[in-house]
Amino acid sequence: MTVVDQKAPAVEPTMLDVAGTPVAVRRKGSGRPLLFLHGAGFTGQWLRFHEALAEGADVIAPETVGFGGTPLQDWLDGFDDLVLHVDDLRATLGLDEPFDLVGYSLGGWIAADYAIFYPERLRSLTLITPAGFPLEGSSVADLFHMYPDELFATIFNDMSNVGEVAPDPQDIEAAVKGYDEASTTARLVWDRRDDPKLPRRLRRVTCPALVVGAEQDRLIPDGAVDAYAAALPRADTVRIPGTGHALIIEQPGAVAKAVLDFQERVG
Amino acid sequence: MSDMQFFHFGLMPYPFIPPGEEIQSTWVTLSNAHYDPKVGARLYKEYLDQAVLAEKLGYDGTCVNEHHQNAYGTMPDPNVMGSQIVARTSKIPIGIIGNALPLHSNPVRVAESVAMLDVLSEGRIISGFVRGTGMEYHSMRANPAYSRERFWEAHDLIIRSWTDDGPFAWKGKHFDVPYVNPWPRPYQQPHPPIWLPGTGSVETITEAARRRYPFMMVFAPLSFTKLNYEMYHRAANEAGYEASPEQLAFCVPTYVAETDEQAHAEAREHYLWLFHTGLKVPTYQLVPPGYVSGRSLRGMLEGRKRFRMKEHWELTYEELVQEQYIIVGSPDTVTEKLTIYAEECGAGIHVGSSMQVGNMPNWKVVKNMTLFAEEVMPNFRPSGNRPAWERGVPLPGAASLVEPIPA
Repeated sequence: MTVVDQKAPAVEPTMLDVAGTPVAVRRKGSGRPLLFLHGAGFTGQWLRFHEALAEGADVIAPETVGFGGTPLQDWLDGFDDLVLHVDDLRATLGLDEPFDLVGYSLGGWIAADYAIFYPERLRSLTLITPAGFPLEGSSVADLFHMYPDELFATIFNDMSNVGEVAPDPQDIEAAVKGYDEASTTARLVWDRRDDPKLPRRLRRVTCPALVVGAEQDRLIPDGAVDAYAAALPRADTVRIPGTGHALIIEQPGAVAKAVLDFQERVG
Repeated sequence: MSDMQFFHFGLMPYPFIPPGEEIQSTWVTLSNAHYDPKVGARLYKEYLDQAVLAEKLGYDGTCVNEHHQNAYGTMPDPNVMGSQIVARTSKIPIGIIGNALPLHSNPVRVAESVAMLDVLSEGRIISGFVRGTGMEYHSMRANPAYSRERFWEAHDLIIRSWTDDGPFAWKGKHFDVPYVNPWPRPYQQPHPPIWLPGTGSVETITEAARRRYPFMMVFAPLSFTKLNYEMYHRAANEAGYEASPEQLAFCVPTYVAETDEQAHAEAREHYLWLFHTGLKVPTYQLVPPGYVSGRSLRGMLEGRKRFRMKEHWELTYEELVQEQYIIVGSPDTVTEKLTIYAEECGAGIHVGSSMQVGNMPNWKVVKNMTLFAEEVMPNFRPSGNRPAWERGVPLPGAASLVEPIPA
């Protein structure tokens, strides 16, 4: 295994002042602006997935409040706070025309909420193994009730690329960063791991949408992909063979291609 | 020799479960199918009889606490147990150490229950407040990320509900109560002593010292207890006073028998149950996200590395004895070890003397409690071996000892 191949060339973040909140943003590529919202981890670096997206878009990858280089804020209490924050970020970035929004996992939930409240701002919405949708009879695996290696074993079906994101277990700073980010995630989802209001609200999303699923997601039940697609008025689905919940690490090229092809079709 | 107060404390475990090495945890996920209520009824009766015995033997207090969905301590409501002890005793102070404030949706309910017990007992209650263990945030679905905020807001609300005439409105971040007006009001004025048991977070220790609340270290090695007491002393100095022995408590399981050899022979398997099975808890249950700050976590991880600290269930019996997680021996040995806490640490409250642990049978508990009361306690008391409550000594943390915090 060659470690060099597992990492994308580094892209350093710029700190933006978003309505008084400092936000770390990495940006690369050209073409239409694509705002990517990360999940509950895999922060602090430019991933191969970002790099693959940047081959077809102007990729803007902010770090959510309380993740990576963006410090936690007292006002962060729930998804509504993040929806308003993302819109402040959009204004700071000057995205005045409808843009492409992509969210992965926890970021998919935030993106879906943003699309519900600001449907007119979006040219397209892409949700990759998104969290948040309430499902009858199945529930999200308890990510707070596992050792880190168990969590990785749950979210990866193919471990060959895990080195891109797996922290060194001896690295105390990495453990503290992981704990702080999990603490932010707990603020958002500890009490409720889904939002029962989402199914009804998603009808407000009028732009074309794509829901990207894994072949077998052992963190968020696979049914969430079809359920999201059914609740969104104009959604397609695609599944990436051989992957689990960590599909953007497992198959960054295939996922990025699915996203870019879809955005191309939107025209 | 320095004075010390001795509080009886039993966790009220349900010990008839598989050994620690065979289960993921004794908390959260261990099926309650293991619980037989008929056995449970017998255990409760024994445990309560032991608390009553503590009064007869002249212990300075007896304690109960709150834990949820586990076999380590089957007291989800400490106030129910407190009420039983109030009814069955007449003099001994009862420490509720404590109610787990952040787990409850309305702190006024806690204020009411404790005030009821204080009135029923005519002022024998010590009101401990705790955050609850990390495990309880999983089993009660309370959000650990808000644990500390909720703890202090609930604390402030309860203290005000006991000290200000009601009704008043409470408008906080976590609690919004339009009419705070609990009846009854506490018997002790302005309110029962407050204790803060903990496992050693900077934030808790500093706040306890600032407010002159007795702080109790729970199940820690002597070296770590010392460090935390030093932190308390420093915080007290910063607040402009010297901490006194009745502000520093330590919860260390203690077993005394005729000789060292016999004490180890009698205690060993039960203390191993406590640490290897009762405290079998994976880290993700013990420290859920947000339960401590990132800064505290860094300190914990660095401390573990530096002191080579192990999880409770990884400690050998010899390590438990050597590091003084437990005290076991003849009356002389136990006296000598307690003297270290009194002389070197300035501690004045021993909690959990003679506590029942794990599957320790009733006869051993009674024997241990009796020997401890007759052979060890006199070494730390004025002649006559009378408990503090017979000598008119105020409860540790009583308002008469606590000066108001400067604004």
